[in-house]
Formats: sequence, structure tokens, C-alpha cells
Amino acid sequence: MTTHLVGLGVLVVVGAVYPLVFPGALTIAIAVLLFAGWATAWDVLGGWNGQVSLGHASFVGLGAYVVAIGASHGIAPWWALPLAAVAAAVLAYGWGWTTFRLRGPYFSLSTIAVAEILRLIAINEGWLTGGATGVFIATLPEPFGIDLFSRTAQFYLALAFAAGVIATVIVVSRIRFGYQLRAVREDEEAAMAAGLDPTGVKLRAFMLSAALTAVGGGLYGMVLAFIEPHVIFSLLLSVQIALTSIIGGRGTVWGPAVGALILVGAGEAFRTTFAQANLLIYGVLILAVVLFVPRGIVGELVRRHVRRRYARRAQS
Amino acid sequence: MRDVLRAEEVTVRFGGVTAVKAVSLALGAGEILGLIGPNGAGKTTLFNAITGFAPMQAGRVTLEGRDVGTLPAFARTRLGFGRTFQTERPFEELTVLENVLVPAFLTEPRRREAERLALAVLGEVGLADRHDQPAADLNLARRRRLELAKALAVTPKVLFLDEIMAGLNPPALREMIALVRRLAERGLAVLMVEHIMQAVVELSDHVVVLASGETIAEGAPCDVMANERVIEAYLGTD
Repeated sequence: MTTHLVGLGVLVVVGAVYPLVFPGALTIAIAVLLFAGWATAWDVLGGWNGQVSLGHASFVGLGAYVVAIGASHGIAPWWALPLAAVAAAVLAYGWGWTTFRLRGPYFSLSTIAVAEILRLIAINEGWLTGGATGVFIATLPEPFGIDLFSRTAQFYLALAFAAGVIATVIVVSRIRFGYQLRAVREDEEAAMAAGLDPTGVKLRAFMLSAALTAVGGGLYGMVLAFIEPHVIFSLLLSVQIALTSIIGGRGTVWGPAVGALILVGAGEAFRTTFAQANLLIYGVLILAVVLFVPRGIVGELVRRHVRRRYARRAQS
Repeated sequence: MRDVLRAEEVTVRFGGVTAVKAVSLALGAGEILGLIGPNGAGKTTLFNAITGFAPMQAGRVTLEGRDVGTLPAFARTRLGFGRTFQTERPFEELTVLENVLVPAFLTEPRRREAERLALAVLGEVGLADRHDQPAADLNLARRRRLELAKALAVTPKVLFLDEIMAGLNPPALREMIALVRRLAERGLAVLMVEHIMQAVVELSDHVVVLASGETIAEGAPCDVMANERVIEAYLGTD
């Protein structure tokens, strides 16, 4: 617990001074923070609750569209972001209610379809979404004279998003809900014997995960300023979010954030250093983690720590 | 007064096979009912039907007079059914304490109180000193105790034990028998499916014998053991 709070403090302090030290590297940092937040939010469902979603781009896109469409109708982002969160939770409820009865990989497969459906809606309902060309955010309000299009402002928003999601997970990991998530992940029948309704627990996890992801999606919309349906609702984005969490360590507080730092950071470094070979190295990295540290990087560390702590206690 | 748990005419069919045929039983507070029978007699199926883990085609199940036969398993748990599984099912990735916290949160939503309840239950089954051990690392006897602790942490009125003695070595068996007796003395109604006759004879107030899904005998343990139909069901006829 204290470790987590220290970690959160370090993130906030480092983040607070980062723009002053590296003013030229804000875009990459925003990407790291957004992915950290998304992967952490994904992990509420995918890691803590064990229900792998390959459709979280749906919520990113939903958030981005709500903020963009809101902006074009004069609705400020601070109203649009909560609205996006609620919309995402409602979507997750409907989607989970129909698919959580399916056991095994069917939920994961169904998630792919939902992002695709949203993409088709975005393309075909041009009156609302700008169709295949997408939607452009032309103006944003300037609260206290802050330009929300500036990279510095966006960096701090992304930092607040990532820190907020991580803080949420720190709390969840300690309270009843967090244990319900894990119990359902481990064994649904045993969870029922402990008085839990597995479908209800999964629904609540999905709604929280979706709402948090959509907030980051709304920020992403502001960063992009131009939202295209085939980019924002892409399977690639969904898979990246899931992989970030899996490589970093599912079901751990810091795993997804570490995954974001490694994957987005390494992805960027490889792209500039190795040009064409970068995808190859990216692929090898993923394979190495899946083969040698299947619990993910932080997942493996946490497991060793728990074992060591118990062994020490048992000896003394 | 044997009215804490009542199962009346419970019937379970799987396709064309009737696994349990109109079996009835009743159980009062502080009582231990032993459910025995040869392999494949339908003991675990009956057990699952009563606790809500298997669908029941006919019959009634009541808890303190309330009909619970149509409720999902988790709802029956919340009303006071605590069960173990024949093959232990700990939440492997959690520690021993966290395993017991999950059911403890049912009655104590706050972490501090839930932890106190979980530790008390762990003390009762003799696992308190292992509370921070990963559940996956426990040996068989301790996994059984953890299974029992999880069932007790829902603060049940009826405790369902599915072959909790199987495979235990003699000292562990004696401890488990003493533990179950203590729980009944505290007022819990206990329904146990059991193959270990030592445990059945020492613990049961009443025994129900199933064979091929039907009750073939019931009564006090020593009477039932002497019953010819029971001997026949176990050993076959010559």
C-alpha cells in the first residue's frame, strides 16, 4: 500500500517537472501517459477480473467522439468527459449483459465486433460524426486562459488521467470490490460459493474499465484534434492496449503503466534507431515476455516478492 | 426440531439419466447428517442440487422454512449455505487470508472488520499462522482447512462438507473430525458427504444412505451400518 502511494507520488512529481526539463518531448510523453491510463483501465477488467477485451478502442473512440462532437456544439470538455464516461459505462453494461453469459473465449471475440460496429456507425452516420472523413475539433474553451490545444496543457491532463486511473486501481485493489474481481477471475463456481454473482461482478468491472478508458479517449481526441473512425476504432489500438497491460503485468497496480513506458517508449526509440526493423524488435519483445515472463514484468516481480516475504516470515 | 434445512423429494435428471430420485432429508441446528453411499450413488449431485450448483427437476429446498430451491447458488450462500468442494477450489493467486476475505466481505463490507472475521475463522481451522502464504503453495490437509475456512466465513447456518476427510492422514483426520464436532456444538447444521466411515460413525447424528439415486436406508449410524440393503449396496450380493 505505502509502496503504491510512493509510486504515485513519484509519478506526479516527475510528471510535474517533466515539461520543464524536456519541453521538446511532450508528444511521446502524452502517448505514454494515455497508454498507461488505458492499459490500467483495461486491466480492471482484463487483469483483475480476468475478462480479456480486444475492443477497448470502442471506448477510446467513444470518448474522443463525444468530446469532439461536444466541442462542435459548444459543450466544454469538462462536461463532455463525464458524459463520455457515462456513455461508455452504459455501452459496457449492454454489451456485457449480452455477452458475459458466454463462457470461454467468446466474450473476447465479441469485443472485436463492437469496435467494428461503432466504426461503421461513425462512418455511416455522417450528420453526427462527419462520416469517413472524421470530425475536426476547431475550437476549445480556454479555462483560466489555458490553451487546451497546447502540448503542455495536454501533457498535464494526460498525467492527471494516468495518475487518476492508477489511484483508482490502488483503492480498488484494497477494497471488497477488488477481491470480488479476483475471486471471479480465479474460479467462478468457488466465487458463487462465497456468495458472489459472477455476472454482476464482471458487469461492474467492465463499466468501470470502460468509463475510465473513455475519459482518456476524450483527452486523446483533444490531442489529435482530428478524429478518423478507422484510426480510433482500429483493432490495432485495442490490441495495443491489451498487450501493454499483458506485457507489463496483468492484475498488478503498476504493470500496465510499466508496460506503457516500455512499449510506447521502446516503440518510439526503435522507430528512430532501427527504422524498418522496429516492428521486428517489437514482435520479438512481445514473444520474449509471453514465453519467459507470462505473468508480465511487474507480475513476476510481485509474485517473487510475495513468496520471499512469506518464506522470510516462515523462517523467523 | 429438524427444520433448519429441509429437502423434499429432490429429483435431478441429466438427459435421460435420473441421478437423484425423490430424495428427502431434514436437518436441525447443531445436528450432523452423514450422506453416504457407493460411488455414483448421486451424493454429490444431491449436494449440488440442494446448494444450487446443479439444476433440480423436481422437489423443494427450504432454509428455516423459506423456499430457496429456485434461487441461484450465490443467493443461497448469502442466506446461509456454506459449502466446500470435493476437489478443493482455493483462489490460487490469492494468499490464504485473501481467500477467506472474499466470503468474509459478505457480512463485513469493510476491510478491517472483514479481516478480523477472516483471521478468526483461520484461527478456528488452525491456519492463522499461514495467513500470508500463497494459497497455491498449501499441502492437501491445509487446502482442506482453507476450503472449510472459506465455507465458514460466509457465516452459514448450514455447512455442506463434500468429502472433506478424504485423503487425510490419521492425525489430520482426527483433527478434522474434532473440528467438525466443535462446529456442530456451536449450533451449525452440518450435512456431510463422506466415504471415511470412521468420520461418519463418530460424527453423524443421523445417516442417509443413497444408492443409484435413491434413499435405501436411514437412521442412527450403527443401525444403518448393520442394515442388509446397505451392506449389499456397498459389497454387492453373492
